[in-house]
Amino acid sequence: MLAFAAGERRIFPYNWDQHDFQNGLRLIVVPTDYPNVVALYIVVQAGSRNEVEPGKSGFAHLFEHMMFRGTKSFPPEKYEGVLKAAGASSNAYTTDDHTAYHTTFSKEDLETILAMEADRFQNLEYSPDVFRTEALAVLGEYNKNSADPANKLEEVLRDTAFDRHTYKHTTMGFLKDILDMPNQFDYSRLFFDRYYRPEYTTIIVAGDVEPARVRALVEKYWGGWKPGRFRPEIPAEPPAGAPRTNHISWASPTLPWVVVGFRGPAYSDEIPDHAALDLIAYLGFSESSELYRKLVIREQRVDILEAENLRRVDPYLFNVWARVKKDADVAAVRDEILATLEAFQQEPVDAQRLERVKRHLRYRFVLSLRDSQAVAATVARFVALRRTPETINRLFELYEKVTPATIQAVARKYFIEQGRTIVTLAGGTAQ
Amino acid sequence: MKFLVPMTLLLSAALEAQPQLITLPGRSPLISFRIVFLTGAASDPAGKQGLASLTAAMLAQGGSRRMSYQEILDALFPMAVSVNFQVDKEMTVFHATTHLENLEEFYKIFRAMLLDPGWREEDLNRLRDDAINFLRVSLRGNNEEELAKEVLYNLIYSGHPYGHHNAGVVSALQKLRMEDLQEFYRRNYSRSNLIIGLAGGYAPDFPERVRKDFSRLPAGRVPPVKLPDPPPLHGRHVTLIEKDTRAVACSIGFPIAVRRGHPDYPALLVAQSWFGQHRMSGGRLFQRIRELRGLNYGDYAYIEYFPRGMFQLEPDPNLARRQQIFQIWIRPVEPQTAHFTLRLAMYELDRLVRQGLTQEEFERTRQFLSKYVNLLTRTKTAELGYAIDGRFYGIRDYNTYIKQALARLTLGDVNRAIRKHLRTTDLHIVAVAKNCEALRSRLLADEPSPMTYNAPRSPEILEEDKTVERWKLELKPENVRIVPVEKVFE
Repeated sequence: MLAFAAGERRIFPYNWDQHDFQNGLRLIVVPTDYPNVVALYIVVQAGSRNEVEPGKSGFAHLFEHMMFRGTKSFPPEKYEGVLKAAGASSNAYTTDDHTAYHTTFSKEDLETILAMEADRFQNLEYSPDVFRTEALAVLGEYNKNSADPANKLEEVLRDTAFDRHTYKHTTMGFLKDILDMPNQFDYSRLFFDRYYRPEYTTIIVAGDVEPARVRALVEKYWGGWKPGRFRPEIPAEPPAGAPRTNHISWASPTLPWVVVGFRGPAYSDEIPDHAALDLIAYLGFSESSELYRKLVIREQRVDILEAENLRRVDPYLFNVWARVKKDADVAAVRDEILATLEAFQQEPVDAQRLERVKRHLRYRFVLSLRDSQAVAATVARFVALRRTPETINRLFELYEKVTPATIQAVARKYFIEQGRTIVTLAGGTAQ
Repeated sequence: MKFLVPMTLLLSAALEAQPQLITLPGRSPLISFRIVFLTGAASDPAGKQGLASLTAAMLAQGGSRRMSYQEILDALFPMAVSVNFQVDKEMTVFHATTHLENLEEFYKIFRAMLLDPGWREEDLNRLRDDAINFLRVSLRGNNEEELAKEVLYNLIYSGHPYGHHNAGVVSALQKLRMEDLQEFYRRNYSRSNLIIGLAGGYAPDFPERVRKDFSRLPAGRVPPVKLPDPPPLHGRHVTLIEKDTRAVACSIGFPIAVRRGHPDYPALLVAQSWFGQHRMSGGRLFQRIRELRGLNYGDYAYIEYFPRGMFQLEPDPNLARRQQIFQIWIRPVEPQTAHFTLRLAMYELDRLVRQGLTQEEFERTRQFLSKYVNLLTRTKTAELGYAIDGRFYGIRDYNTYIKQALARLTLGDVNRAIRKHLRTTDLHIVAVAKNCEALRSRLLADEPSPMTYNAPRSPEILEEDKTVERWKLELKPENVRIVPVEKVFE
């Protein structure tokens, strides 16, 4: 198990059982050889991308909080009591395209947990007062994030790079919308009614489990869940037209940042563009890249250098982030990043270097599957995009097909001035 | 399970000749290494705070004698392996996980990094910058919660070997020279100080090979650092860190005599879990502060050091210490509710000390912990880490230790341990805030700090608020200090 040779096609090493229920709910069971523990991930394919109405940024995330506010059968204290009795670790997260609720526990508690989760997905109930209180906890979350300039950079980068698509705002949302959340009780019910439906939901169960039994349990507790009809209209992003820049003056002392972003493609396991950009991210900016060698190791002008090519349902951005040690070096670092990206357009990359990156990605993936929770967490991220772990295998097949010529073509297609956004941040000086 | 002699002494006495080996053989092709040296920031010489950490960084993120750091990165890259390190007060760990297919190639490099370091000036300069930027930018600049926690530790252990951040202090880091690092390495990286942990489907003879290789280290017995008691604490001390910030982050704590292996550890673990299990919504503090009142994002309690809590749900292993503190973590609150929230946390702590847990609360928490320990050790590298910590504390494997102790535990034990080890007097409070002068005046005046809410609250909460808003902190002016953030860790 888990061993693989270079070029072998199936990177995801587990056999999984995938089943669609009549109401549109999908179940994916992944038996692993890690004993005793079960990880449950419930993925709802709605995130901040679905926040289409103005003034509603951050709502998917607020809703994730509301899901812990209980039902008639399981008020929060009782819900908490069941988790506690199971010794479970439970949490949730929200991102652009999906929201995931996850619980890890001992296998004997599977039925109890599945039954309780089915109840809250179908019968969530909370009062306006409780809603207003929870909205404040979200503000508390914004507050705890607010000390980190990287969060502000992401906020400004998105806001600058996008005009219409909902990727314009972060999952956390704009502060003005967060401050208004306590007044949005009705919208919160609407959000639940729209998206917390079986056709948006995939249940992932990984660990010490038997697929047939899990399927029967899910049928028993989730089979009666009524599907909905809502389909959101996510505004398409018009072409950017011209390069964009923005700057953030950070009040307190901190190191300067520069982020160079380009409009990129959506995730795909069929068209090689997004996969090729993954490879470019490592070729150009990983610890073994020429630019890292120069800026971080040799010249020591930069202490963080990272490229980011997030997998998203709709076209997002390819971003290179650099934290620079001196203000005076920011412009030069920006130009080095741009020159590195341009070089991919000029010359095909060395085939051997490309092979090394592919090998890195394969081992990186396999090493990440270190326990059942990690397996379920990984599957959840991909399920949010294509609703099946098979997309992982397809993606890695796609990596294998990318050639130096593909890299060059993709670089020429996406690293263009008209799609570029550059955001810088400079810290204040000590008092 | 009581131990009278520090474990490090027992370890070095028993196994002077050879490094200790802890193995978890299995069938997994994921091979985990945890190479632990029983040394750390508590061994930093006076005026050289940060030496242990910088030395470890030089091994994990610098070149070996044969290979430059860049060459190491290039060699490790196709295997997707990274060598990680963690330096705490009394433990330094180097850990990595590789695929079995790359084991030989990786081990060759890893071994050279730890046994044959390159000591290059350019590596030292880069890593010194990293350490200083970690303290000044990542911690002081960008993470107020972790800042409050770390300052709390520094204050509690002021003048004690634990009294500085593991990464050091800026002025000392600036002065450290290569000779200091080499000297620290020679003195502290000895085989009697070493525990080698291995897990996964390696060949049967592999562990002995590793042990033999690491037996090349000097035998020198390093006596464990003498740890005095933490300085005595009288009254409530408040340290306000002045910073331009939106919110107020706060930590409260005091030293406790309890650590893993202490007879009261399981009882106090139950109390802590009930009061504020990390990142879980069922804890008392979380319920009262966040869930019912919406004052912030979360509130938790600890009896062991737990750095980076905002980024992870479970603690990292290999942070074993002979001395620990009890700590409350209040996540950032809006400035206008800071005084009330602080009072509420103190009120809840006071309630815990006076009332303890009920039988039902005790039973539920005990049941939770008996199962939850399985989750803590669900990865092989974590299981290995806990096993190594078990050696340090002189306990059997953590899961068995906890489960057996919990099975014997009674409510009486828990409430007795709470009364014995927890208190609301003689403690430190650290808050990172803006306009500290005004906050200081409010705290000293001790006037009521009534709450207003954005939605109706139950009569029970409103009634309780009347008590909370008047809860007397009884602070003495000389015990309420303001520290500009630029001064911290300098």
